[in-house]
Amino acid sequence: MDQTLDLTSTAGKTKEVAMGKARKRKKISGADLAFRICNGIFMICFVIITLYPVLNTLAVSLNDGTDALRGGIYLWPRVFTWKNYETVLSKDNLVTGAVVTVARTLIGTVLALVTNAILAFIVSRKNFMFAKQVSLFWVITMYVNGGLIPTFLLFKSLGLTNSFAVYVIPGMLSAFNMLVIRTYMRGIPDSLEESAQLDGAGYTTIFLKIISPLCKPVYATVALFVAVGQWNSWFDAMLYNRMASQYTTLQYELMKLLSSVSNQSSSAEAMKNAGEGSVTPTSVRAAATIITMLPIICIYPFLQKYFVTGLTLGGVKE
Amino acid sequence: MTKKTFNMADFKRQRILIIWAAAIVIYGIVFHYAPLVGWLMAFQNYKPVTGLLHSQFVGLDKFKVLFSDVSFLRVIRNTLAMGVINLAATFVMAILFAILLNEMAFKGGKKVVQTISYLPHFLSWIIVTGILHDALSGTGIINTVMLHFGWITQPINFFAHEKYFWPIVAFANVWKETGWNAIIYLAAITSIDPSLYEAAAIDGAGRWAKIKHVTLPGIKPTIMILLLMNVGNVLNAGFEIQYLLGNGLVQNVSQTIDIYVLKWGISQGDYSIGTAAGIFKSLVSIILIVFFNHIAKKHGEERLF
Amino acid sequence: MKKKIVSAVLCAAMLSSMFAGCGKQAASGGAVNEDGIKEFTAFFAVPGSEINDDNEIQQIIAEKTGCKVKETWLTGQTAEEAVGTLIAGGEYPDFIEGGNGSKQLYEAGALVALDDYIDKYPNIKEYFTEQEWDQLRQSDGHIYWIPQFSNIYGQERACTHNDEAFWIQARVLEWAGYPKIETMDEYFDLIEKYNEANPTMADGTTKNIPYTILCDDWRYFCLENAPEFLDGYPNDGSVIVDPEKLQVIDYNTTDTAVKYFKKLNEEYHKGIVDPESFTQTYDEYIAKISSGRVLGMIDQWWDFAYTGEDAIKSAGLDEQGCQYVPLPITIEKGMKNQWHNSGGVLNVSSGLAITTSCKDVDAALQFVNDLLDQEIHDLRFWGVKDVDYKVGDDGLYYRTPEMRKQAADTAYKAAHTCSYSYFPQYSGTSRDGKNAMKSDGQEQEFFDGLSEPIKKCFEAYGAKTYVEMLGTSEKPGDWYPMYTYSNTLTTDTPGGTAWTKMGEIKHQYLPKVVMADDFDKGWAEYMKAYEECKPEDFISEMQTELERRMTEAAKYK
Repeated sequence: MDQTLDLTSTAGKTKEVAMGKARKRKKISGADLAFRICNGIFMICFVIITLYPVLNTLAVSLNDGTDALRGGIYLWPRVFTWKNYETVLSKDNLVTGAVVTVARTLIGTVLALVTNAILAFIVSRKNFMFAKQVSLFWVITMYVNGGLIPTFLLFKSLGLTNSFAVYVIPGMLSAFNMLVIRTYMRGIPDSLEESAQLDGAGYTTIFLKIISPLCKPVYATVALFVAVGQWNSWFDAMLYNRMASQYTTLQYELMKLLSSVSNQSSSAEAMKNAGEGSVTPTSVRAAATIITMLPIICIYPFLQKYFVTGLTLGGVKE
Repeated sequence: MTKKTFNMADFKRQRILIIWAAAIVIYGIVFHYAPLVGWLMAFQNYKPVTGLLHSQFVGLDKFKVLFSDVSFLRVIRNTLAMGVINLAATFVMAILFAILLNEMAFKGGKKVVQTISYLPHFLSWIIVTGILHDALSGTGIINTVMLHFGWITQPINFFAHEKYFWPIVAFANVWKETGWNAIIYLAAITSIDPSLYEAAAIDGAGRWAKIKHVTLPGIKPTIMILLLMNVGNVLNAGFEIQYLLGNGLVQNVSQTIDIYVLKWGISQGDYSIGTAAGIFKSLVSIILIVFFNHIAKKHGEERLF
Repeated sequence: MKKKIVSAVLCAAMLSSMFAGCGKQAASGGAVNEDGIKEFTAFFAVPGSEINDDNEIQQIIAEKTGCKVKETWLTGQTAEEAVGTLIAGGEYPDFIEGGNGSKQLYEAGALVALDDYIDKYPNIKEYFTEQEWDQLRQSDGHIYWIPQFSNIYGQERACTHNDEAFWIQARVLEWAGYPKIETMDEYFDLIEKYNEANPTMADGTTKNIPYTILCDDWRYFCLENAPEFLDGYPNDGSVIVDPEKLQVIDYNTTDTAVKYFKKLNEEYHKGIVDPESFTQTYDEYIAKISSGRVLGMIDQWWDFAYTGEDAIKSAGLDEQGCQYVPLPITIEKGMKNQWHNSGGVLNVSSGLAITTSCKDVDAALQFVNDLLDQEIHDLRFWGVKDVDYKVGDDGLYYRTPEMRKQAADTAYKAAHTCSYSYFPQYSGTSRDGKNAMKSDGQEQEFFDGLSEPIKKCFEAYGAKTYVEMLGTSEKPGDWYPMYTYSNTLTTDTPGGTAWTKMGEIKHQYLPKVVMADDFDKGWAEYMKAYEECKPEDFISEMQTELERRMTEAAKYK
């Protein structure tokens, strides 16, 4: 596949120069200018539409909870307060949860990336005799599910309940991630593998030295997917580690906080005593959302460089 | 198929691959196939008290109950319709967005746009539907704008009419996930050899020609794989969003299989109904992907297996 | 060769990691910690407020009783699911409240029969009468759980009407000179007239919403169950019970139901009923209430007051009379209304239970017994003296404004307050005969919180509390309330199936009936769909339960 890809062409540097020139020439064209303007307008609209809910959440998170009940908060808080953040950050066990979450995100991502890459490598070898069967075996796992209780019993009998391992082992391999990597690997010309084999390289070497370096963009993508999944998950903590508070996760603590706040805001006590400066489920949810988003926004640029590049930087390099 | 004859030399060379594959298959059996024992629940009157081993066996009764219920057939229709509409909308939007983003000349802007575009992915449905409800309410931005331009004379109560429900759900999905879904295509675009663009430019190809003849073919394998995977997921059109946006007036079109299962299964202490519905969904998914995989194979496209 | 070894090791590591559970089991079964305090675990299959591990009052109670309970609550699951998982796993916390899954727990043999223990613990023994204890017996004749709520000690101390009513803003009544409003027609009449004279709020631009109906999911009771009250019956929830004939009546099809929905239909077309009623979410509804625009609605007090009324107060709208008072409305003039009933409601369907995993049942029950001691009860629901409340010269507890404020703070609550909220507790009057068991029953505390327009309104009607606005009735009969039974129905029985279907149909058709251009046609369509649910199956199961309850009760006469 992709025989059209010509990898033996000139080195990157000259390409860049050539492309740069080509682009400069194109800039003059009227149609091109029109396209750029249209595209720019489209992107601005898109950014406004997607940014709005985030900014709105930010505004709500900085607004007094009771006041926000009246609605009408758009981009700017009406009654400013840090109270919602204070409430979230004073949650008991939050630090334990954060440490566990960071650990599961790091370990889980590394494990998932390694195993998915290996599996993708295996099934993307064209001459591997069981490639089709192994692929089918994994594709089916995407569409079947034994249900909550059988899974729970299995994990319990494997000793995965009340343990950290339940976060990183069961979800390690996923057909989705494997297929994404596999597709990318299949795009790499066979000639590379063949010439390495002629030099006496085994599959391990080919995987580590030839294929993996070329797969950085797709590895970054899958790492992002896995990391975000790990970062956001709480259901497993609730289900398997409810009684083992040393393995609580950040999101589970936040879910419990939200539940506490919802519960309190509907109790007689709250009504009699509250007034200014109380929090509501909506305001706490907004603050919790912003707090969990921040680390991802901070780390994102480091991954982004792998999949958002100028045309001239892209491409499979030798 | 013909190539699959056993060959000792192949076996030896691929020994390391086979060992790895075997380990991974064992893992898969343990974590993905072993829990399928739970499917027995669909053929039982399962109660946690008696467990899988001692619950009363009822054969296909649960399936009969499901398929003789008019409202189950209706939720299948709803799920399928929303699944297909969402698939089409999110899929096209993600590809379009990835390509247009790639065409942006200003690199700093490109990064900023891309970063912002994926942020809604981190908002929970309850936040997104809350904002959507606001925007579409009688005094919301949409009605205000339409009234201002005289397109309507009365505010439209969007959530009171069945005809608006599916498009609203599709829009919400596009809104929340386009930027996130586009990441995969952006990564695929990076694998396209720049010299192809260069060659195309020298041949005098314009922007559209380059998109059509270089970018799209370059990401086609990724598109095909994701399309095939998502086709298998059309019956997983969701739960939360329909639950949060639905109301009594539109419940005929808003309820999905998952909502049905919650209402008639889990909340009634009946685990078997949910399992039976799950098996049905799995079967449909597998039939769909086998079928479309076959078509893809016929056309020589990238396929799942 | 080296590479092969490396990959073989990796391979083995991967396989072995699948089976590596490296967890230690959480403490359970009354393990004693380093301070000599017994630690129990509890799971409540309801959403709840979690407290910190080092909570102050929990520590004080632990020192006094020698026990501490680590509580966990339902998050992101249904009670049935959570309980089902526990049963499948076969391991339980020491204490459990199964919520809707209580019956499953009993059937699974997960619970310890309490009958033999009860006599040993005076506070627990005193908690219910013989008759009430017997009502809790399951099919095998044993008692497994203790309902925690609505148990009134001594005199009842109800200031607020916590239940359902037709509510109206104080400003509407004030404008009309506090007229006597007794029927639904008068109620809507008043709202219409007020809205005509004052279409906007005090600011002159914000339009009033004369009447809105909350219809979001399970909260649609605001639309559907008024006919039972309009006919002068109490909140049996799912049916009306004729107290003379002891006959179950379906309130969905009575003449009053037709009149009520016809009235709503008329008002809808007059523009009095909020056109967004049937599509608004709970949040949107609360936003409307909070803005002070809504003149009237039907709702339960707890559903809007703790959020909506709070927001009204904090926006200063209470001074404009935007807070709500309940009105004693019936379908005809001169009928006795039962919007408010005095006395507690024994909900036998669930409660606090002890599981077979608990290794020290005696200590666990001793702890429950201790929690009902007045001293500990005060710690749970009032807090620490001079920190959370003060004692006046007359011996009455009160709170300063600062104390009230901190008592409402989420973080403070988590760190300081520990009410063991799903353990047995009392409302009503304290054993000292003066104070209320819980701070919300303290009259002075209540009056201090009222705004001027509400006080004025109460005065005009000769009432001192919300309850007196409605008048109060005694417990209607030994069957009351029937909803404790209908809540436990599942699709296992024809009646339960009918009940679930009726809910679906009402959700869908009642809004249509109210919005219909031709009410009679809309009503006929609704009735046709309704009949197809076989409501008679449901009614007959309710009738059987009613008779069972009456026979049980007759044994104590």
